[in-house]
This record gives sequence, structure tokens and C-alpha cells, in this order.
Amino acid sequence: MASSRDDFIIAIRSAFLKKSTKQKFSLLTLVFFSIFIIVLSNFNFKAIDITKSIIKEIVYRSSFIVSIPENFIKSTYYNLNEYTSYYKDYKTTKEELDQLKSENISTKIIKSENEELKSLIDGYTITSNKILAKVIVDHKSPFLKSIIINKGSKEKIKIGTNIYDRSYLVGRVIEVNYTNSRVLLLTDLNSNIPVSITPGNAQAIVVGNADRKGEVRYIKNDLINKIEDKGIAYTSGTGSIFKSGIPVGTIDFKDENGKILVNFYSDFTQLKYVFAEIDELIPTNVQTTENISTDDSSNTEQIKLNLISDELQILEDSNTKYLEENQELNTLTNELNKQIEILKAENDLQKNVIQKHDLDKEEYEFLRLNLIYSSKCQSKKLFSTGFKVGTPEYRKCIMQRGKIND
Amino acid sequence: MIRFQKKNLLYKIYIWLPILALFISVFNEFDLNYLKIDYFSFNFPFILIFYFALKEYQRFDYFLVFLAGLINDTVVGLPLGLSSLSYILICIFATYLRNITISPNLIKDWFYFLFIISLINSINYSVLFLFFSYELDITLFIVNNFFTFLFYIVFSIFFKRYLKSLDD
Repeated sequence: MASSRDDFIIAIRSAFLKKSTKQKFSLLTLVFFSIFIIVLSNFNFKAIDITKSIIKEIVYRSSFIVSIPENFIKSTYYNLNEYTSYYKDYKTTKEELDQLKSENISTKIIKSENEELKSLIDGYTITSNKILAKVIVDHKSPFLKSIIINKGSKEKIKIGTNIYDRSYLVGRVIEVNYTNSRVLLLTDLNSNIPVSITPGNAQAIVVGNADRKGEVRYIKNDLINKIEDKGIAYTSGTGSIFKSGIPVGTIDFKDENGKILVNFYSDFTQLKYVFAEIDELIPTNVQTTENISTDDSSNTEQIKLNLISDELQILEDSNTKYLEENQELNTLTNELNKQIEILKAENDLQKNVIQKHDLDKEEYEFLRLNLIYSSKCQSKKLFSTGFKVGTPEYRKCIMQRGKIND
Repeated sequence: MIRFQKKNLLYKIYIWLPILALFISVFNEFDLNYLKIDYFSFNFPFILIFYFALKEYQRFDYFLVFLAGLINDTVVGLPLGLSSLSYILICIFATYLRNITISPNLIKDWFYFLFIISLINSINYSVLFLFFSYELDITLFIVNNFFTFLFYIVFSIFFKRYLKSLDD
């Protein structure tokens, strides 16, 4: 017993402490070193942050170089796949493009109107400067979904900067180094996106499901019925994590577990280039020229008055439209009432005909029975058991097939 | 059969192949999931480290394994030092198994490997969830654990052939 315990201790000690000829450190030293690094990396000391940043810079660049062959194989495979469905894609894309072109014009108008109004309200305009960034590392772990882009604090990227693929949301920056940053993708379990779902205008949170979709959570039960399949989810801007009105994905009810899922517009496995949106607050003319306030304030007042008068004009126009519609509807109602009266008269006539037909039928039945049972129901001189012909009693007797006593 | 001349560059690369493979895998974070199979993933570094630590391969420097762990943490975005700790713990368990084993058996090693990776993944999950407040899907860990266990036997055949070719 004692010897087996000794063997165990010897084996453990050997595993932890014994260094073979080629090893520089014992395993125990490395264990302590690992724990030391884990603990140390949690402190926000400047020296540690700089060291971490340098390590990350080197590793990300190296990872980009090392993964070139693998990326080449992957891209070749995807390209081959794309070529097979090239023509079909071309046709659908062309149709989509035509539609988008028309939508784009109206979007531009709305955008410019929105900017004007915002500048009036805040005195500041948020100018969004989207910069193109290359995805240098996209090897997503099974547990964490993130990518590394080649833009960092040098290009004014901050923690929380929104990242786009075309105009679709991809994620937000969670870690910034000098020349690169890490982006947490929407599919990550730690990603929470406040969204509005249309139609229905339901507010919800979309949480990544660590796969390729998002899951709609934290929604009021009575609002679930309002959500439709293929409905559109876009950022609501709640909590100021993401800007409002960015398309996120479409609703998908196909889940077996009854969960409401979101199919993201962007394919996160195919990201090569993304856009990072850098927001800068620039004072508008209203704010910068505050010193010459008299002229400016009168200008602002004038703009406001113009806006209000425009609004009034619109309201008047719509009012006239409503009145016209109302008149049309009144005439239509009168015509319909007349039609109803005609139909009522027709109905009465048909009812009378039916009633008469019923009476004739009854009379015919009486005559038929009279031929058979008249002898039973007629009164006789000696034994007065019957009734006089033509009396209601006689008729009743005939109808009862000769039964005198009921 | 290809025979290498000693002191040849190719020969040097060949003898350092396990370490090279380890570094390439942590830089790429590859799990061979190009077919986009749901939930499929396995941990190649775990298999590689366990096997070569168990066989006490001379070129398999623990310090390099430790560095590979740091790189893995940086690439994946885990807290720095966590993968290093996992890799070193695998080395410790493998060394312990080697010390207590007189006649090695692949099946016994295989199930011992399952026990080790389950333990280490549990430690990882607990540390990430409790101390770093990461939201993690335990199913992914279990599936990863399972596939890593399955693939050990496949890779061990290749590794065995590799070691044999070196002896020859």
C-alpha cells in the first residue's frame, strides 16, 4: 500500500519537475507562468496593455501570413462554387439592382431631409466616414466568433465602432490596437443587438447563436403574434451600441424548437473587406456662427417658419383630399341604400308567392282526403257522430283522416 | 522511400514537423470544417500535444508548446494564458501516464485522453464563464470534446508512422 503511494508520488513529481535534456523549463514552472499571465492580463496597467498590444500586432500579422495558403485553397473552392451558379446569380442580381436603384433615390431624399432636421434639432451633424478595412484574420473559433481587421486606433477606430459589409451590419469593435482591431460578429453568443422588427414595429434583442443565425429574444409575448415570417430586422439604436436603421436580417420561423431566428443579410464566412464607420461630431453652421447670433437666429426662425408653413400646406392639401373622398363615399352610400330597398321589395314579393303556394298545397291535400274520408266525417240523421259539411270541425276531421275524437 | 540526408534542411524541417504543425494550427485555428457541418469542430493541438508528450519526442519543447498556447489565445480572443495552461496541463497528464505505464496500449491511451480533454475543457468552460463572464454554448464544448476524442485514433496512426519513419 505504502509502496504504491510512493510510486504515485514519484510519478507526479517526475511529471511536474523532471526536465529532460532538451527541455528548458519544467512543466510546473510553465503552469505557474500561465496562471501568472492570466492574472496579470486582467489588470489594466499601461505596461501590460502595451505588451499585450505588441503581442497581438505580431501575432495577427503572422497569422495573416501563415494562413495565406489555407485562404488560397478556401477562396479557390468558393470561386469554383460561384462559377457554377454564375448565370442564375447574374439574373437575380440584375433584378435586385434595378429595384435597389429606384429605392436608392427615395433613400437619398429621406437622408438629406433627415440630416437637415437633425442639424436643426441638435446644432451638430454626425458625419459618418466609412473606411475600408481588410479582414486579416477570420479564423473563427467554435466558441467565439470574431475577426481581425487591419485598421486600428491610428485610423480613429474606437471600441464600439460599427462594422459593415456593404450596408449590412456585421458587428462592432471590441478590442483596438494601433494598426488593427478585433470585431465581435453578430453571430457570437456575447453579441446583443437591439432591433426593431417590421411589420409590427416590435422591439427585441437579437442574440447570436454561435452558428450562422441570430435568435430573437426579450420580446413581449403579445408582440410575438405581430411578427411575420420574412419580416425585416433593423437596428433600433436603443442603448447607443449600434446606430439606428441599419439592416440586420430577415425573420425566419423555420426553427424546430419554436425559436424565432434571424437570417443575417451578410455571410460572415465570406468577409474579405468590411467598412468601419467613424463618427465625428462637427458643429453645424447654426452652432459655429453663434457670435453673429442676430442674423443667424432670424435665419433659423425663417427656416422654422418655412417648415411649419410647408407642413400646414401639406395638412390643408390632405384635408381637401379627405373631404373629397368623404363626398364620394356619401354618394356611394346613398346608391347602396336604394339598391337595398329594391332588393327588399323583391324579397317581399317572393315571400307572398311562396305563402300562396303553401296554401294551395294545403287545399289540394284537403280535397284529396275529402274524397276518401268524407263518409266518416259527414253527419247522419240517426247517429249524429259527424259534422256538417263546410264547417271547420268537418275540415279538421278530414285533415285528421276521419278521426272524430282528438 | 524518401531518405533524408542528415543536416539537410528538409530533414531539419521534417524532425521539427510536430512543432511546425502545432504552430500552423494555432495560427490558422483550423478545424477542417470546410463543409460547414453544424457544430462540427475538433481541437487538433490537443491531439498533437498529448501524443508527442506521451511519446516523449525529443524535439517537442514544452516552452514552445507554451508559446503556441499564447498565440492561440491571441488569435481566438481568449484571455491570455488560458490555452497555454491547457496545453501544459495536457503535457503534465501525458507525462504522468508515461511514467506509470510499463507496456503502452493505444486504447487505454485513447480513453485516458478522453478523460484529460474533458477535464481541461471543463476547466476552460468554468474559468471563462465564472471569471471572465463569457457567454458560451456548452453543446459546442461537448461536441468539440467528442470529435477531438474520435480523431485521436486517426491522427495517432499518422503520428506513429511519422515516428517510425524517423527511427528508420
